[in-house]
Amino acid sequence: MEVALEDNNLMEKVLPPDEQEINVELEAKEKKYLRGEGANLESLKDKKLKTQLASREKLYGKSAKAAAKIEKWLLPASAGYLETDGLEKTWRIKQTDIAKEVDLLSSKNQYDIVLPDFGPYKLDFTASGRHMLAGGRKGHLALVDMMNMNLIKEIHVRETVRDVAFLHNDQFFAAAQKKYSYIYARDGTELHCLKERGPVARLRFLKNHFLLASVNKIGQLHYQDVTYGDMVASIRTGKGRTDVMEVNPYNGVVALGHSGGTVTMWKPTSQAPLVQMQCHPGPVSAVAFHPNGHLMATSGKERKVKIWDLRKFEEVQTIHGFHAKTLSFSQKGLLAAGTGSFVQILGDSSGGGYSRYMSHPMVKGYQVEKVMFRPYEDVLRIGHSMGWSSVLIPGSGEPNFDSWVANPFETSKQRREKEVHLLLDKLPPETIMLDPSKIGAMRPSRRKEKPTRGEIEAEKEVAIEAAKSVEMKKKTKGRNKPSKRTKKKKELVENAKKTFPELEEKNIAGKKRRIGEDAAAELPTSLKRFARKN
Amino acid sequence: MGGLKRKSSSSAKTLAKSKKKKGPHLPNSILKVIANQKRPLNSDEEDDDVIGSDDEHGGDLYEYEEGVPEEESRKNNRYDRHDNYDYELPEDFEDENVESEDDDDGGNTDNDEAEGDDDDDDRHTRMLQSLTGMPSAAFEGESKSKPVLFTEAYPEGEFNPTRDVLEGKNVLTEEDFLAPLEGTPGYQKTSKQIARMRKDTKHVVHAPLPKPQRERLERKAVIGLVDEEFSKWVHLVKKNREAPTVYFNQDVDLGYSTVGAIASEFQPRTEFEKKMASVLNDSEVSEAHRDDGARLLELNEVSMEDHIKDRNHIAKMRSLLFRHELKSKRIKKIKSKTYHRLKNKDLKNSSLGALMDPEMAKEEAMRQEAKRVEERMTLKHKNTGKWAKRMLSRGLNVKYDGTKAAIAEQLQMNANLSRKMNSMRDGSSSDESDDEEELNDGSDEDTPSRLIAKAKEKTLKALEDDEVPNAGLMSLPFMARAMKKKNEEANEEAKRALEEYEEWENSGGENSKKTVNVSGRRVFGATAKVEAPKESRKDSDNFYDDSDGDNDMPGIEDNNIEPVRDNASPARNTITDTEFDDDVAGNPASKTTFDVAMFASGSWKKMTGSKNTESKKASKKTHAPIPQAQDKKGSRDEESEDSESEAEEMVDGILTSASKETFEVPSQAELINRAFAGDDVLDEFEKDKEEVLNQEVPKPEKPVLVPGWGNWTDIQRKRGISKQMVQKHEAEKKEWEQGLKTRKDARLKHVIISEKVDKKAEKLHTTTLPFPYTSKEVFEHSMRMPIGPEFNPSTIVGELNRPEVVKKTGVIIKPVKFEEVNPNDEVDDEHPRNHQKQKPKKKTSRRQGKVKSK
Repeated sequence: MEVALEDNNLMEKVLPPDEQEINVELEAKEKKYLRGEGANLESLKDKKLKTQLASREKLYGKSAKAAAKIEKWLLPASAGYLETDGLEKTWRIKQTDIAKEVDLLSSKNQYDIVLPDFGPYKLDFTASGRHMLAGGRKGHLALVDMMNMNLIKEIHVRETVRDVAFLHNDQFFAAAQKKYSYIYARDGTELHCLKERGPVARLRFLKNHFLLASVNKIGQLHYQDVTYGDMVASIRTGKGRTDVMEVNPYNGVVALGHSGGTVTMWKPTSQAPLVQMQCHPGPVSAVAFHPNGHLMATSGKERKVKIWDLRKFEEVQTIHGFHAKTLSFSQKGLLAAGTGSFVQILGDSSGGGYSRYMSHPMVKGYQVEKVMFRPYEDVLRIGHSMGWSSVLIPGSGEPNFDSWVANPFETSKQRREKEVHLLLDKLPPETIMLDPSKIGAMRPSRRKEKPTRGEIEAEKEVAIEAAKSVEMKKKTKGRNKPSKRTKKKKELVENAKKTFPELEEKNIAGKKRRIGEDAAAELPTSLKRFARKN
Repeated sequence: MGGLKRKSSSSAKTLAKSKKKKGPHLPNSILKVIANQKRPLNSDEEDDDVIGSDDEHGGDLYEYEEGVPEEESRKNNRYDRHDNYDYELPEDFEDENVESEDDDDGGNTDNDEAEGDDDDDDRHTRMLQSLTGMPSAAFEGESKSKPVLFTEAYPEGEFNPTRDVLEGKNVLTEEDFLAPLEGTPGYQKTSKQIARMRKDTKHVVHAPLPKPQRERLERKAVIGLVDEEFSKWVHLVKKNREAPTVYFNQDVDLGYSTVGAIASEFQPRTEFEKKMASVLNDSEVSEAHRDDGARLLELNEVSMEDHIKDRNHIAKMRSLLFRHELKSKRIKKIKSKTYHRLKNKDLKNSSLGALMDPEMAKEEAMRQEAKRVEERMTLKHKNTGKWAKRMLSRGLNVKYDGTKAAIAEQLQMNANLSRKMNSMRDGSSSDESDDEEELNDGSDEDTPSRLIAKAKEKTLKALEDDEVPNAGLMSLPFMARAMKKKNEEANEEAKRALEEYEEWENSGGENSKKTVNVSGRRVFGATAKVEAPKESRKDSDNFYDDSDGDNDMPGIEDNNIEPVRDNASPARNTITDTEFDDDVAGNPASKTTFDVAMFASGSWKKMTGSKNTESKKASKKTHAPIPQAQDKKGSRDEESEDSESEAEEMVDGILTSASKETFEVPSQAELINRAFAGDDVLDEFEKDKEEVLNQEVPKPEKPVLVPGWGNWTDIQRKRGISKQMVQKHEAEKKEWEQGLKTRKDARLKHVIISEKVDKKAEKLHTTTLPFPYTSKEVFEHSMRMPIGPEFNPSTIVGELNRPEVVKKTGVIIKPVKFEEVNPNDEVDDEHPRNHQKQKPKKKTSRRQGKVKSK
């Protein structure tokens, strides 16, 4: 689809490649692959370590460079985009316009499927985007192969289905039904009934940890390990009922949106929330995470969508004017928001914040239930009250898939092998933390860190100042001598100084030096002759 | 010189001998002078010099001969009281001396004159001495008419130098000695020599330094040397230390790589080998081979002689065999009990007998093994014994053949005993494995029928095999009879067994199968089949029964599903949900109800319309399997009861006109919620935050006066809380504030970040810095890059993960070789440095690779 949008002269044009540009691009990519700066080796005293680390850094640099080059030159497809002439706005472009321009294969991705009877549909994709699961509220579950639009299986469970989620691949999926949630196999056989969770409102699967997370009607958060079936954690959130739940793909932290306007983030190993954020004054209606884990979008009922930076926990942007019932980030970072029968896509093309990119009005009366970008495709899937529709959003999907991560063209043998690999690479639940890059680092000290030298000095100065500025009482005639007063003041200052520990390091070093020099002087006279003279 | 020689020979005949003996006792000073002058040294000359110098000390040599007693003369000779005289009389002697030394030929006459003078003086003093009995020195001065002044208590000497000398005023120099000679013929030469000597500082030997100083100097020098030696290696060492990988896979050339290579270099050495080689390499034979082979026949011709020889040999062997047979037959016929007993005993004792009896064999083996172990431990037979040592040390083993043989035997024994034992064990193990195989044949194929078949086979074989041996013990008639009886019994048993087998095969096999089936199914199949549907049915029943309270769609289900069920066949009850829709499709009854329902709800029209308008693909989509839409209104009401949020969105939107706005009218509650949104929420959050903070960083309690404690009297009350408590509280408060300040969420009003320690996650961190690192930052930065193949291009993965030391097994690590390194050279990381043999290594590896690929 990405390729298809490329040679479209009307709206898009290909920029001629320029050496400089390429270099800049390569550098940017290299930086990405370097994952941060190397340590400052100048401070190291150990020469061996220094050179070893330096050579290591060199290797890292080489690796990053090679990776950047591979990404630049060897990846087969480039991302699609939408470019307008002059005053034309991208959000004015309708799906029908796009349909005219794109190739046949892409245009096949524009369709609506009308299933009026079983109510608003929830959607879920497998990691590769090959399979889609649709769960109608009134009990209709359908598993569709998106590649050939083949309905693999559909079943009717004859009770409310509140949410659906794929497990690690298309072979299993979970459905949150009226009373319990169930796990079904690809062919529709019911494999498990998960009674312990109670009536579940939302289901999410943590791929790397093999945990099925769910929040139920009474606001309990459950984590269940699907490999051996154990309930890893059940947490009472204490925030009341919620049906807003999303997983941060970067670190596996689960975020819940509450009616009090707070968003809480959880991990299975702690009963208390990792983070609580007051995001909105009213109830939170939707939460979504950027794939890189740094951005979070929330929507409140007060008709505002906010974008947060999760590294600083600060608000980056507020988008006024609409409230989203459902939010979703695409792989490339586009944000889709669905309300009523209207879907809006926001993009961050210039880097200055999210702004309108595209919009898609549905047939009036279609109530959007869930929007979701299809991975590795420029396709947005909208589950609504009358079935589901599919629209083209150029530039939303990652153009190149990594078959080690997710392969849409997976054969069954590959799938089986992948499953084994996934199981071997399964992460234990305690690895879920806000900053997983800290794994393997030094344990954060429990004691408070020692104040630095500068801090101590600053504090000392403040104390001395305070001591100096103390107003002395006027004493009786004989005792009010200025000499005495100055003496007293001096004493106070001295006392203030004393309370701070001496900055000893310098002295120690000095002492050491002196030991070397004056050793002879300190020796008894009879032994002086043996002192080493340099 | 010649003159001097003469003098010595004439005057000191008696002394000559003793002097020659004392040759090595030359005074040091003289030796030095000799060395310094670097004259050509002849032994004679040396002697002359010695004598001459002695002359220097005193011409008293002559006196000794004549009057002075022996002992004194000796003393004088050694210790030079008379040297002092020399000093006092420098002119004469120096004259004489210098002349004698320097004038080669021309100075003879002068010498003679001086001698004459000397003689006269001597004679005079001697006379005086004999008259007065005073020392000769006194008269000598007199005779020279010089006033004699005794200023010192002791005569001057080595140990009593004059005051002038001590004060350094009047030290004798070379000039002093030379001055009087000025004008003499050899003077110039001498002065030149001396000047040269003075300039020549090299050969001046100074007094040795005190020992500690000397040693210090030595050490300094040595340190310099050692440093140099070491610093030479520094670059090498540094390079190796800093290399990310050190390679030790140097060239491992074992010489041959193939059997062919080994064979190609074979040289025949022994006679046999040579013979073989000559035959093999015979040009005729090889030619014949190369041709058609017809000539091979010719070459193969056997001569008549050979043929006869061969025949005779065969005949001989046959006759020997025959004789042996006869002999054994005869022995077999011997009936003597004693003979057999003895024979058996012999057999038992011999190794053969031991082998026959397994018990014995075992014992024997054990004994052998013990012996071998002992041998290996003690090396008893490796010339370590007392006797062997003695024999060897005295060389008796060469002398006597007997001892030689004995020692050789011992060594042989040692070799035998300490040889690795394989053969015996191999044999036994193979036997065992055979047995095991046989056993396994039975056990592996675990089907009982097979086992039985096998048994049957074996019995049959046994039946066939019961032939009576026609030789040996068993051939005896009574033995044969007994054997027959036994065999018959055995046969009968075998037959019975066979019958049993057959019976079992006919009936028992089936029986067992049946039982197996029953037991297998009992667990899994049948009951499950019976129970599963029941359960599912119950479940579903329960669903519908219990769904009164908060069911989302109770009405529908109750109304619709019942009739469907009634229509369905009883078998349908067991069908799972997955098959449901198919069934619906196939069941006309249910279909009708469905259609009716659709029409009743009034949505059908719209549905079809939408189908037509939307897309053709929609037709492909799922058919609604279950009639539900019938009573939507009712279901909606009930839904809205339990799920507010869900209810809002549940719109049967098809009926609503297309022109209708997307905006939906919010419910009253929602409006209120919106209107007052944010009123209390923020306050609540603040409260929450405070609570959490209090939990994680507890606020210190304010000190309070407990009634009855410390406030009894007025004074106490006036004082209030004690200063200490207040101070402590303040310190705590400070700490608390600090704690709050350092929190991550200190400045974020809207965020609470928990700082609780996750104990389970603690194991994912290191408690201590790993060894070479000294700072946390550096360590963490060095950990930031993953090095696995998933994250790095394949070209660099290898380099990233190369071990510190690369070494092939079996490679001997050689000590570091010195090689010149340019210290200014930058370390080249492209090609991993390996100090020694990288290149040859690479070659070998390539070669090996090729070989492998072949």
